[in-house]
This record gives sequence, structure tokens and C-alpha cells, in this order.
Amino acid sequence: MIQRTLLRPALVLLLPAILAVGVAAQESPFPQAQLGQQSLRPYWHVFIAYAIVIALIGGWALSIARRLRSVEDRLID
Amino acid sequence: MTNSGVRRGATALTLVGLVGMVALLWMSFFWVSTEVNQGIVQRIFYVHVPAAWTCFLAIGISALCSGVYLWLRDDRLDRAAMCAAEGGLVFATIVITTGPLWGKIAWGTYWTWEPRLTLTLLLWFIFVGYFMVRNATEDPEKGKRFAAVVAIVGALDIPFIHLSVIWFRSLHPQPVVAKPDGPTLPGDMLVTLLFGLLVFTVLFFGLFLFRYALEDVRLRAELRARRTA
Repeated sequence: MIQRTLLRPALVLLLPAILAVGVAAQESPFPQAQLGQQSLRPYWHVFIAYAIVIALIGGWALSIARRLRSVEDRLID
Repeated sequence: MTNSGVRRGATALTLVGLVGMVALLWMSFFWVSTEVNQGIVQRIFYVHVPAAWTCFLAIGISALCSGVYLWLRDDRLDRAAMCAAEGGLVFATIVITTGPLWGKIAWGTYWTWEPRLTLTLLLWFIFVGYFMVRNATEDPEKGKRFAAVVAIVGALDIPFIHLSVIWFRSLHPQPVVAKPDGPTLPGDMLVTLLFGLLVFTVLFFGLFLFRYALEDVRLRAELRARRTA
């Protein structure tokens, strides 16, 4: 049960990473000569930014769902 | 509207918002062209700006409901103001965390005390204060009134955040969409940004309605507990 609860958010957080790999595979907008100077750091920043968005909105949604379930359980009791 | 009606609306909006979010991820990573000067890091723009817009919308709703609550003293307005403020705080947190990630690559620093960043951080603190004030009084009615005033004061910060890049010398980029002579973004970037604005807005309204339904059920549970006691 705990494993399944942890697995779902982990999969959701991994989604931007999979997408970022896809972008990395796209054709580079930079000329060949500049490629050696590029670093992968911006990709990590983009990945972290999108992961934050998913985590915060998902976290808010999960928090509302948990509170709603707990109040409804109290109401039934 | 009944609680089940609110929930049906919330479910529909949230589902549309989630599908839209997946589409937005696809558009921002695979469809939109890469900005030539900033490179890949510019893609943060497609979540940062919609989050800022949604934050301002949520805080605007909170302030409006708070103002009318102070006038009419209708508890439904206070509940709506509180739910919108919670959403506003979530989206404000997205704004102040994604912005510095872009800033580190574009400016070379995560944070600088320039007007827009400082005023946005101030807005975040005001809405943290909203929840602290709400729960800090012994009399809940007094807490609601104090929080309503804090929400209105917080919303007054929004025009200053928007105009700060025009009024002061600022590191933050100037507006590229909301300007008198029209948007200056290339077509595909503008489409992605506008789609992001739509997705974030729909998602906010979906979750806002769920949050409102939660407060409604909580109130019913409290009333029942009081009746049985």
C-alpha cells in the first residue's frame, strides 16, 4: 500500500524528466561550433521548474482529496 | 448550487485541466521553437507566466470576496475568499521558485532584490500572513474579518508588481504580451503561452471548487457534531 502511494507521485515527478530527454534529442538550435560550449545545466533547471509545478499543483490536489475524505468519514461516523 | 453540483463542476474542470497540462508539457517540450538567445531555459516561461497570472487571479478573487464579506457578512464569501487565497499561495510559490531557476541561467544569480521579485515575495508573505491571522484569534469571526483586510491589502500589491518593471530600473524582462502596441512574441510561443494561461486557469477553478466543496462538507460535519453534543 505504502509502496503504491509513493510510486504514483514518483512517476508523476519523472514525467518532466522523460520529456526533457526528448527535448535533448531534438535538433539543436545552435551552430555546430557552439555545441562544445553548451552545458546540460539549463536542462536540469527546466526539469526542476516543471517538476516543481507538477509537485505543487498535484500536492494541492492530493491535500484537498485527503482532507475531503477525512471529513466525509467523520460525517458518516 | 448544491455540494454535488459543485463537485461535478470541479471534477469536469480538473479533468480538462489535467489533460490540458499534459498537452502543455508536450507543446513546451516538443512543439514550440527554442528561443535563439536564451536557449532551452526560456521554456520555463510557459509555466512561470501562467502561474503568475493564475496567482493574481486567485488573489483578486480572494480580495473581491473578502471585500463583499466585510460588507454583507455572508460566510459563503469568506469561505470562497479562503479557498481562493490557498490557491493563490500555491501559484505564488510556483512563481517564486520557477523564476529563480530561469534567473540563474539568464542573470547568473538565483535572486536579486529588484522591484518585481521583491514585491512578489512580499505578496507571498502577505498571504502566508493571511492564514496566520485567520487562525491566530480566539474569536473565529474576528479572525475572518482580520484575514479579509489582509487579503484586500495583499491584492493592492498586484498592480505594483505589474507596473514595477515600467516604473523602476529592473532586471526582470518587460511585458511581451500585455502591452499597448500588442504582443511581440513569435506566433508559436504566443500560442503556447496563451494555452498555458488557459490550462492553469481551468485547473485553478477546478481545484478551487473542490476546496470550496471541502469547506462546505466540513461546515456540515461541525454543525452535526454541535447538534449531537
